[in-house]
Amino acid sequence: MAPKTLAQTQPQAGGQKKSKSSTATRSRTVKLDGERGPSSSASLKMTRLDPLTAFSKTSITTMAVNKSNGSSQSQSQKAKGKRKAKKVAIESDDEDEDEKLKASSPLVDPDDFLWVDRYEPTTEAQLAVHARKVEDVRRWFSEAFDGGPSGKLIKYRRILALTGPSGTGKTATIRVLAKEMGFEILEWRNTIGEAPSTLFGDQSSTSQFNADYEGLFTKFEAFLARASTCHNVFGSSSSAQSSNRRIILLEDLPNILHPKTQTQFHEALHALVSAQSPNSVPVVIIISDSGMRGEASDERRTDGGGWGKDKSQIIDVRTVLPKDLLGSHFNPIAPTLLRKALGAMLNTHFSKSTGSAPSKEALDVIVESANGDIRSAIMALQFACIIELPGRSKKKLGAQRAVLEAVTRREQSLALFHLLGKVLYNKRKDDPPGASASVKDLQKERDIDAALKPCAKLPAHLRHHDRRTSRVDVDTLYADSPIDTSLFSLYIHQNYTQFCNQVEESEDVADWLSWIDSSGGDMWYQANPHQFHLLTLGTLHSLPSPVPRRSQKYFKPEFFGFLQKEKDAWDGVCATRDWLTESLIFREDSGWRAGGWSKKDVVLELGGVLKAQDAQQNQTFSKPPSLHRRFSQMVFTRTGNIVRASQLDEREDFQADQELDVNRDLDFVSPSLSSKPKEEKGGWLESDDIDEF
Amino acid sequence: MSLWVDQYRPRSLDALNYHHGLSERLKALAASGDFPHMLFYGPSGAGKKTRISCTLKQLFGPGVEKLKIDQRVFLSPSKRKIEINIVQSNYHIEITPSEAGNYDRIVIQELLKEIAQTQQVDMNAKQRFKVVIINEADSLSRDAQAALRRTMEKYMSNMRIILCANSTSRLIAPIKSRCLLMRVAAPSEEEISAVLQSVAKRVGFDLPPDAGAKIVEDSNGNLRKAILVLEALKMQSPDLTGPLSIAKPDWEVYCHKVADLIISEQSPARVMEVRAKFYELLSHCIPPTIILKTVAERVIEKVDESLKADIVHWAAFYEVRMRNGNKKIYHLEAWVVKVMSLYKQFFYNIDMSEFD
Repeated sequence: MAPKTLAQTQPQAGGQKKSKSSTATRSRTVKLDGERGPSSSASLKMTRLDPLTAFSKTSITTMAVNKSNGSSQSQSQKAKGKRKAKKVAIESDDEDEDEKLKASSPLVDPDDFLWVDRYEPTTEAQLAVHARKVEDVRRWFSEAFDGGPSGKLIKYRRILALTGPSGTGKTATIRVLAKEMGFEILEWRNTIGEAPSTLFGDQSSTSQFNADYEGLFTKFEAFLARASTCHNVFGSSSSAQSSNRRIILLEDLPNILHPKTQTQFHEALHALVSAQSPNSVPVVIIISDSGMRGEASDERRTDGGGWGKDKSQIIDVRTVLPKDLLGSHFNPIAPTLLRKALGAMLNTHFSKSTGSAPSKEALDVIVESANGDIRSAIMALQFACIIELPGRSKKKLGAQRAVLEAVTRREQSLALFHLLGKVLYNKRKDDPPGASASVKDLQKERDIDAALKPCAKLPAHLRHHDRRTSRVDVDTLYADSPIDTSLFSLYIHQNYTQFCNQVEESEDVADWLSWIDSSGGDMWYQANPHQFHLLTLGTLHSLPSPVPRRSQKYFKPEFFGFLQKEKDAWDGVCATRDWLTESLIFREDSGWRAGGWSKKDVVLELGGVLKAQDAQQNQTFSKPPSLHRRFSQMVFTRTGNIVRASQLDEREDFQADQELDVNRDLDFVSPSLSSKPKEEKGGWLESDDIDEF
Repeated sequence: MSLWVDQYRPRSLDALNYHHGLSERLKALAASGDFPHMLFYGPSGAGKKTRISCTLKQLFGPGVEKLKIDQRVFLSPSKRKIEINIVQSNYHIEITPSEAGNYDRIVIQELLKEIAQTQQVDMNAKQRFKVVIINEADSLSRDAQAALRRTMEKYMSNMRIILCANSTSRLIAPIKSRCLLMRVAAPSEEEISAVLQSVAKRVGFDLPPDAGAKIVEDSNGNLRKAILVLEALKMQSPDLTGPLSIAKPDWEVYCHKVADLIISEQSPARVMEVRAKFYELLSHCIPPTIILKTVAERVIEKVDESLKADIVHWAAFYEVRMRNGNKKIYHLEAWVVKVMSLYKQFFYNIDMSEFD
């Protein structure tokens, strides 16, 4: 739907934009190539020959331009693939990048720069990040450099981890603060792009490449060592003081999904932290947690192996960092802040160049569809300014929205909390509106209903399957789901009963869960590819409509906790069995039984004897290991013993609860760190708030 | 002192208390010099493993009782380490491949190849071959069974395999046809009580007949269970007189209470409660099929005649799904909700008909 609209709008846009300068029109057609000036015909040829080296050419010319200006500005994003592993980015202190580019580079069309780079915030006022968050980070830096009021905090402020979804201004905050507080940023970049560019043989011969080869991680270690001890010789270093203040910025991490590399990485960080040098360099690690899917690669492992992955395949703070570190989480940027930032950016842009600003409605759509990702919002804004969006009239607003949504579409925009809400509240067409719904909400609901097609009447024998049309779009849910189907089914399983009135409804949901779990074969290629759809549709079909509102709360699956408990209990079984076997084998008098005891026999039949032996005071022989109580003792209690699963909070994402995942390497998970947020954020949304998402 | 069940285990074919015909046949086989691959099957506690060890002793003499425990490490294709405990003597080796889970094929292949390719070096040995005992053969994966099938033919000269399983239904036909099948049936009540009496005599006390009868009734044909219960009872009340109450294992009592929960109320909230209990049972290592079976049996005792067939049908239905699926709790719960719904509808219908 969306691409089609896009295609339709482009010719129209071209027609309207005839008035604009011809360079602008050209730049619109060729988007990937940043080099449109007349001087770059050589690199244009290169573009056709070899897209990889074309980019490095681009950056060379950009660099040359900067050099001619006599500035040491080198943080342009385009230099990314080309530069060496160690990249020292030094902020120019006073000049506004945008001004400089316009003034110093007549060859480069300013329209060719992405606005994200061009209007990068340079002062705190321009940052769209919440002021308190910036203040936190600033305080951390001042403590890391000066040791806080007491001067003793230096050794505790060694590593700062910034986490949050992409486009929430993590990097921008660091850069702004670097400018404000006057420290250098030493940045690490992986150099994956280097190898292919040498293959084309335009810069270095292949033999040299082989001779110089060292592992990426070796390079990384060397970088860390040098960055933390050596001073920059070539730096701008206007004053001696500023060169003392440096931070190491790690945004591009080594492959820490590889267990060995991860261990090495942790060791390197530990070494850095424990080094007691007087002028140590704080490290800032930036981890974007977008685009990660939670997976429950759990139960196969409990069968003693199988396809289960050795490590969790997700990067989050706990994989990246060893325990003793401070983390700071960035939340998605609030719509008001986002709108303010975009407005300011539009003002600066149109004060310098011609063209018409996008309408207020368009801005609304952009803010809405960006989901708090400022980078995506700026991209959409630039897009909206370059091409003319379909008309301003209210009627065409829908088309406009479709275009912008196609542009700003993010991989993952639905929180787990909302995913569950959408499925479990089972909203259907013509649902009675919620008691606290505002007029706007009512209108929104009516709009959604109007867009839904009523489904065909079912024949009489299928009448009991008749349901009103659902407001839930399964395909969108599938695309936006932050977790995989297995984990999703665990969440549904944990929570569905609250949403059922009668056992019959539960029966259907439970049957769907059971069927989906057992469909498909043992092997990965036999897996049922439709599990998500089946699960969602099945659940929607089975739940009552409308779902009763009794302020249900979501809980995390208890599954993992019990899985861990079961594993511990198996240890007890093994210990008991070993004790039995030992007493068998090393005694002449006892008869020997082939195969000893099977685990099942130990669990099922030994309970009584073990209990009796525990009760026995005078022992004539060695006591059974006390671990046996893990499997042999069960006390049935009606109340009090019900283990309440921990609640799922709206602001939490799926990662927080994966701490229970048995696959996770527990060495690197600090329980205090991961469980804290849960206790602090006790609140949940009332049922009526949930469905607005 | 070890458990009675181990201490007073018969150590030769002659000392076995029941199934004398079987013992005679095993003795003849061991003497014939043409010992086949064998598959012992029968319910648990019937004496399969005892018979296997007695047969081995008949084959190799007392040397087979000199055992040692090894821990072997195998590497999976993904370089995961699999540790397996192996009990062996000079003449035989025992493995439980199901402990390796999905990697049982690797264990079987590696180990059998190694054994089969080494000749018996002890010139005094009675037999030229070694025996491999494979426990829990019915939980071998298809892959492992297929691997076994080739090995059994190829290395027949150096090695014999004795499989031990509860039932033959999950063994593939080629394996069954390569083995001599030996069914070890559960002992009858008289046989169990005779064994209990002889154990009591060897320990040195008198077992009152009514206590013995009670134990036999409780054991349900499982001799091992009977002897274990006897030992536990003796520890609890040394004189074994007066009213004896045989304490069921905790998990069984627990299952029965879960069944009561299901019958007493049918609501989504109760489903949650039952689920918590199931989780508790699973986390105590009780096999999910046993949970389902025990709870279902208890439910059937309590419900109306017309519902029983349905409840068992659905128990069987969800047990199959449980075997195919990964998350056992889903299937246990699906069955519970099904039963609840059936039970509820049953009562609902009764009310309606009375109304009319």
